[in-house]
Amino acid sequence: MLLVPCPNCGPRNAADLSYNGESHARPDPTTCTPEDWRTYLYLRDNPSGWLRESWYCSSGCRKHFTIERHTLTGELRTPILPGSKPGATKGETK
Amino acid sequence: MASSVSHLDPMPKVSIRAADDTVAAQALGLAFGSAEQRDDTLVVRIRPDEWILLGTGALALAAELDLSGYASTVDITHARHVIRVTGTHAADTLAKLCSADFDEAMTPNGAAWGNSIAGVTCDIVRDDHGGERSYLLLFDGSFVAYFLGVLEDAAGEFSSDS
Repeated sequence: MLLVPCPNCGPRNAADLSYNGESHARPDPTTCTPEDWRTYLYLRDNPSGWLRESWYCSSGCRKHFTIERHTLTGELRTPILPGSKPGATKGETK
Repeated sequence: MASSVSHLDPMPKVSIRAADDTVAAQALGLAFGSAEQRDDTLVVRIRPDEWILLGTGALALAAELDLSGYASTVDITHARHVIRVTGTHAADTLAKLCSADFDEAMTPNGAAWGNSIAGVTCDIVRDDHGGERSYLLLFDGSFVAYFLGVLEDAAGEFSSDS
């Protein structure tokens, strides 16, 4: 079982959350090139190591947040709510 | 009694969404994840920006709120249902269907949180009665038949103790 530290609810079973995939900065659709937009929509880094992801606490606080996950070990750290700074969370960060 | 399952509807229920800096949020108060009985209404802060009022005074209490700013109330009396699970094995019954930690240290009386029980997304409130463990489960009304069935089935395992 993967324990995901929601910034509001604390450690939760991953089955209580929805995984939204890699977290990307959205380019400005009015100024970016079609290649940039296609990269944003379809291409993923898929690194072997730390990856910033987006999750949704669907059964708990119903908030979206980002978190870093190590793709080899499954370790999770630094959950952040949108608009918050790292460390300003209630959840466990390891 | 080992564990009993009772359907409490129609119980008046109101959902209130309010940002932290609104008058309504200040009036309702409470820490996220806690519940408090106020006269004949149980006030539950179930999410950082959402409160649920349960009981006969829910509609009246909601009507008194100042809804200026980002705040709204919705009468969810008939949209969501409430089931109470009570008894010495109430926590054991729910633990069969839910991944939450029902230990006294994690979810004492007055705790409130969202979770999935038997695949149904619920809001759970620990609301002890007469010194006996009791939980209120709020969920979408369309799941009533299925949800009552799985809860009674889970509670049945402990019926020999009653």
